[in-house]
Amino acid sequence: MIEHITHSPRFYEYVGWAVLLLAAFNIFQVAYLLWNKARVDRSERRKDELKRLAATAVVTSLSPADLLPPPSSEEEYAAYAESIASVLDSFEGEIAERAAGLLVTFGIGAHYRKLARSRAWYKRCNAVDILAVFRLEENRDFFTELLRAEPSDDVKYRIVRGLSLIVRGAEDLGELACMLSGLPYLTPKYTEDVFYNAITRLKAAGREDDFGVFMGRIMRDDRVRTLIKRDCLTACYAAICERGRPLLKEYYAAHPGEPEILAACVRALARTGDFTLLPEALRHPDWRVRLAAIKNAHLCCEDLTPEIAALLSDPNYHLRLNAALALARAGERGLAALRAAAAGNDRFAADIAAYALEQGAA
Amino acid sequence: MTFLLWLSVHFTQYTVFFYFLAVNSVYTLLIIFALRDIIRHAHLATSRAARRQLSGEFYYKPVSIIVPAHNEGTVIVQSVKALLNLHYPEFEVIVVNDGSTDDTLEKLRREFSLEPSKKPLRLQVPHERVLGRYKSAEHPGLFVIDKVNGGKADAINAGINASAYPIFCSIDADSLLEPDALLKSSKLFLEDDELIATGGIIRVLNGCTVRNGSVTDIKLPDTSLEALQVLEYTRAFLSGRTGWNALKSLMIISGAFGVFRKDMVVAVNGYRRTVGEDMDLIMRLHRHCREKNIPYKILFVPDPVCWTQAPFTLGALRRQRNRWHRGMIDALLTNREMILNPKYGAASFLGVSYFLFVELLGPLIELFGYISVPVLWYFGLLDTRFMVMLMLLAVLWGVSINISAVVLDTYNFRRYRRNSDILRLCLLGAGEFLGYRQIMLVERLRATLTFRRTHWGAQVRKVIR
Repeated sequence: MIEHITHSPRFYEYVGWAVLLLAAFNIFQVAYLLWNKARVDRSERRKDELKRLAATAVVTSLSPADLLPPPSSEEEYAAYAESIASVLDSFEGEIAERAAGLLVTFGIGAHYRKLARSRAWYKRCNAVDILAVFRLEENRDFFTELLRAEPSDDVKYRIVRGLSLIVRGAEDLGELACMLSGLPYLTPKYTEDVFYNAITRLKAAGREDDFGVFMGRIMRDDRVRTLIKRDCLTACYAAICERGRPLLKEYYAAHPGEPEILAACVRALARTGDFTLLPEALRHPDWRVRLAAIKNAHLCCEDLTPEIAALLSDPNYHLRLNAALALARAGERGLAALRAAAAGNDRFAADIAAYALEQGAA
Repeated sequence: MTFLLWLSVHFTQYTVFFYFLAVNSVYTLLIIFALRDIIRHAHLATSRAARRQLSGEFYYKPVSIIVPAHNEGTVIVQSVKALLNLHYPEFEVIVVNDGSTDDTLEKLRREFSLEPSKKPLRLQVPHERVLGRYKSAEHPGLFVIDKVNGGKADAINAGINASAYPIFCSIDADSLLEPDALLKSSKLFLEDDELIATGGIIRVLNGCTVRNGSVTDIKLPDTSLEALQVLEYTRAFLSGRTGWNALKSLMIISGAFGVFRKDMVVAVNGYRRTVGEDMDLIMRLHRHCREKNIPYKILFVPDPVCWTQAPFTLGALRRQRNRWHRGMIDALLTNREMILNPKYGAASFLGVSYFLFVELLGPLIELFGYISVPVLWYFGLLDTRFMVMLMLLAVLWGVSINISAVVLDTYNFRRYRRNSDILRLCLLGAGEFLGYRQIMLVERLRATLTFRRTHWGAQVRKVIR
């Protein structure tokens, strides 16, 4: 076959062309490298300059648009967007309003809304992310409409996160929960983050009660996945949602066969200072519930010393460790239990007790 | 006799010609896939996500950083200081002194005020006997385990048993993580429950300026030997691993910097004691997940950066490459079930096949070409014009692949800012074919012949200043 190729009258002509093309391509690549580097360096300098200008203008001037050149390239839009987002993050009131006004005056919001419909999914992701950080209420309908038409789950997750930053009340929360249940489950942290954003937003608006209402509604709603309910409870814990407290006990009672929900309830209740479920949770057959309880047991464990000491022999390493540490923080009764375990025959319990005693001494 | 000669001439021509075509085509395709992946990544990896992770009260997963250290006295203090300065909300650093015969433990004890600790280790994965456990009086998140020498894999296993968090990051003691590297790599675990392992890019520290454990000035090393390694790393990570990533066939996450889900690593019984423990672990993770029908992802991300010291003498470089090649052969042999097995899907047909046919058999074919082509030409059995054209084409194609890797790097990441450094890298892309490649080929062939050796070879480090 090679003879057929090499004996072809035009073989060396073709190979010669290939060599020349490769040589030319290499030279082109080097030239492109240098040109692109210079271009990006220039563009970055311009971007930094615009970001600085925009931040200063928004903070110091009543009509910042008069002091700034309107954006014309993608880099300039990105510079203004980043600058405005950080102003919106740091300021409230008049300055935040001026920053939001600039989004309209310069058509930045419109620009990213257009990009959010572009053909490449990663460009849509980026545009939705940027729109989300503006936290503009007028984007709510746009996001909802976008979500309906969006084919990519990657973009949908970002839209839902964007919506979580602008929730108004229990109705919006219900919609969020349905949207999340309609999507393939992503990660606990993602869902927790969505509800955390929502609680923070409601707290800032003085509408924390709405979260309690929402939790009550979804407790027995089969359309909302159990995992979503669990993450909602965890968000309650992270955002210290006081209004959810009465419902946490109801959730605990309503989901006896769901250890992850029980653990989330125990953690969230303890965070709000309610330890009434701890004794029961410490004896729960599932280690996740016991672990959630033991991590908070030191806060109220004078009465629970025997239960906690029993966990020093638990098959789970984390439980043994946390039980020992809880006893070390539990005053003289806890220390006495640790000393007894350290001198006992159970090697695992003895090792962990010795460690906890050392920690207690430190 | 004439028939045998005819056969050998044809066999040589076909083998060399098609191997050359296949290998260069694979590299070119990988670059195309990598370019697509890097463009996407540029849009998705924004600073907003990292900011949220840093400022969020709980939008992160705590990470245990495991540093295996064997005779790392010259670099260990600077490395640990750099790790303690990472931007991350919650992490612990576990240094495992793997039977060092130098002053590694003494330096750690002195510099970080280590005190003996009684914290029991879990018994999840096997490792050699632990001689002592220490915690720092100054840094609550720093633990040191002193153990009998058992190799890097064994040391990481001990670190896994000592770790408290569900995700662990293994990092070499002579490496420095960029302050946001852990944020960028662990962020992926927040966004994808199927992710079980990820790794960032390894860059060459030689030539750079380091202040307080951070790389402050990035410069190409002065010697060509070290600068050539910069080119190799850039090519291997940005075109190679990014390309394999796009094909869902990543077979290796560098031992110098990888982040793993602990439960999955424990499920495959931790690291196996071998010189190629990083590739072996990834192959076993692929096998485990495929066999148990566990949905999983193993990803390479190009922007978390880990700076590492590359060998600065030819001897050290040859020893390192010899070890890498032996490690690869051992991993392939141990996981030979994955070779062309439909049960393992793309990981088998693309990833494992590449390592088998290109990385393992490649040096043999290349050597065959280096010997047979001049011999055939000498005896007048090969057309001179054809040979010259073929060599010219091979070198220019290779140079093009090298420069493309530099283009990928400067397109988005732009670590080397000086024009002189970029031009030098491009020139080295051509210079690589004048000796360096052949030396590496010889070393890989030697490794192929001695693949049963499990010796790591002494490693020489420079003090990080």
